[in-house]
Amino acid sequence: MSAAKLERLLNLTALLLETPRPLSASEIRDRLQVYPRETEAFRRAFERDKDDLRAMGVPLERQEVPGTDPAVEGYRIPKDRYYLRDPGLTPDELAALRLAASVVQLEGVSAREGLLKLGGLVGEPEGGVLPVGSLPASEVVPLFGAIAAQVPVRFGYKGESRLVDPYRLDFRRGRWYLTGHDHARADERVFRLDRFESAVEVTAGPRFERPEVGVPGARLEPWRLGEGAETRARVLVDAAQAPWIVQHLGPGAVVDERPDGSVVVAMTVTNRDNFRSFVLTFLDHAEVLSPPDLRAEIVAWLERQVAA
Amino acid sequence: MSRRAPATRTSASDRVARLLAIVPWVASQDGPTIDEVSERFGISRRKLLEDLDVLMMVGVPPYTPDTLIDVTIDGDRVWLRFADVFAHPLHLTPEQGLALVAAGSASLDLQGGDPEGPLATALAKLAAVLGVEVDEAVSVTLGETRPGLLDTLRSAVGEGRRLRIDYYAYGRDERTTRDVDPHAVVADDGAWYLHAYCHRAEGWRSFRVDRVVEAVPLDETFEPAAGAGDGAGRPDARVLGPDVPRVTLDLEPGARWVIETYPVDRVDEREDGWLRVRLPVTATPWLERLLVRLGDGARMVEADDDSLVGAGARAARRILARYGIGPVPGAPR
Repeated sequence: MSAAKLERLLNLTALLLETPRPLSASEIRDRLQVYPRETEAFRRAFERDKDDLRAMGVPLERQEVPGTDPAVEGYRIPKDRYYLRDPGLTPDELAALRLAASVVQLEGVSAREGLLKLGGLVGEPEGGVLPVGSLPASEVVPLFGAIAAQVPVRFGYKGESRLVDPYRLDFRRGRWYLTGHDHARADERVFRLDRFESAVEVTAGPRFERPEVGVPGARLEPWRLGEGAETRARVLVDAAQAPWIVQHLGPGAVVDERPDGSVVVAMTVTNRDNFRSFVLTFLDHAEVLSPPDLRAEIVAWLERQVAA
Repeated sequence: MSRRAPATRTSASDRVARLLAIVPWVASQDGPTIDEVSERFGISRRKLLEDLDVLMMVGVPPYTPDTLIDVTIDGDRVWLRFADVFAHPLHLTPEQGLALVAAGSASLDLQGGDPEGPLATALAKLAAVLGVEVDEAVSVTLGETRPGLLDTLRSAVGEGRRLRIDYYAYGRDERTTRDVDPHAVVADDGAWYLHAYCHRAEGWRSFRVDRVVEAVPLDETFEPAAGAGDGAGRPDARVLGPDVPRVTLDLEPGARWVIETYPVDRVDEREDGWLRVRLPVTATPWLERLLVRLGDGARMVEADDDSLVGAGARAARRILARYGIGPVPGAPR
């Protein structure tokens, strides 16, 4: 890019930030004195400059120029939408963010531009830091924008177009999940982003209010995915497999540790099929102790397989 | 008028965006050095001086000296005045905000989440600016591990230190102790993996970190293999050679998750919605587990290895025995 173009874009930005009222295209041409005089050439150059600014995220607004009849379209950049409120990051905090961004990346999205705006690249990523993971970015960015702006989004899911107030994004077990209020169902739902059937459309509003109590993370344990009544199950797991299930469920799930190293864990079940599937992954190293009907279901399932 | 490629356009925006970040920072300082600015904003000294040259021509109407940005370069230091219009950087786009918040949330999870640490406080400040609550709006967990275990593994990778690990091999359903030379710890598909040279298997292996029961650093160190860590020389756990026996299964439509979860050689869709799938069996317990979970939803059509025939029913009998039903092998009834 030429120095002339850089200069023009900066002056255009400054002009539209400082102007007290929207400026028409011809006013902009007259004040900047850098665009071609010829109408068509000017129009093309101005369109490109506007595109460049918008691509950078500059909030270039179109508004009617006051007092014009017939109405003339004008442009301005509202300062309150342009200026980044200074978060007041200390050098330590900037360095911590830089390190985090070097370890985990969002696919195809650079954290660098954000860091520059926040005060530059401070500190060194630790010698030999290797990126440990990258997160898929598809559809996540518009959803994040809608969460911050508190406006509903629309997307295709399970054959329907859904209108959803987006509350939160969770990345778990290699996938993104959206928790939000589904308008048609008038209830909170969890959606898997990789199952979206259309691109996300961010609506213009109206703004929604977030629930006053915090939105819990997506419930992702398969045995809790159902809408059935809650059952409290107790499962005995052998010593060899005990560390694994304790880690999987968390130490809070352990209700008994036996002398031989085996453990009894408690699980809250709303999806009995998924619960059975999970318990059977332990083969004969786990046993459902209670309740009796859940135990009987598993026995019946296995007997059918033996008979087959 | 010449047409410009989109790539040129991106770089145009990049250069403007960078300068719009540099100006407010330099203006707020008392004469930083050119080198400090170029390092902080990741730009060469030459390019920075070129950009500062342009900046002298930028301002607001009527473009008199006091309305143009004043650039003073004295010796090796730079001052900016009359730059009030660019007193603050351009706001963060959702993309830029998300990149930082997601990386921060994931890293916080990695480090065990010190709520007083600089990363946590940085995220809280950032969230306030973005208008979200980090804990309530975005949460990233790359994989599940016990606190401290990842640190042990990562520092062993960094030091080139051999580890003795107690590992639960899920596929074979057995616990083993092995000495490994750890080369990388990575998150993939929602779980943590340790890529290491295993002295027991005498080959490269990938270990799921959530199945490492214990990891003890040993005194021995090793020389990191060339290319380790950048993907070269890493085993791909999903590549299963021809020496691994195969089975062919018919799966009901609801069991489609199987082909999304495990490597398969081939899949044929049948008209009734069932799938005929040929897939490698790395270990018998793995196949048993799959079959008892699927129940009536899977039928074995053929198996390379005779010992695999009837694996599902055998496993079901063994589990039933645990529930006290049917003959217990080798035990009095």
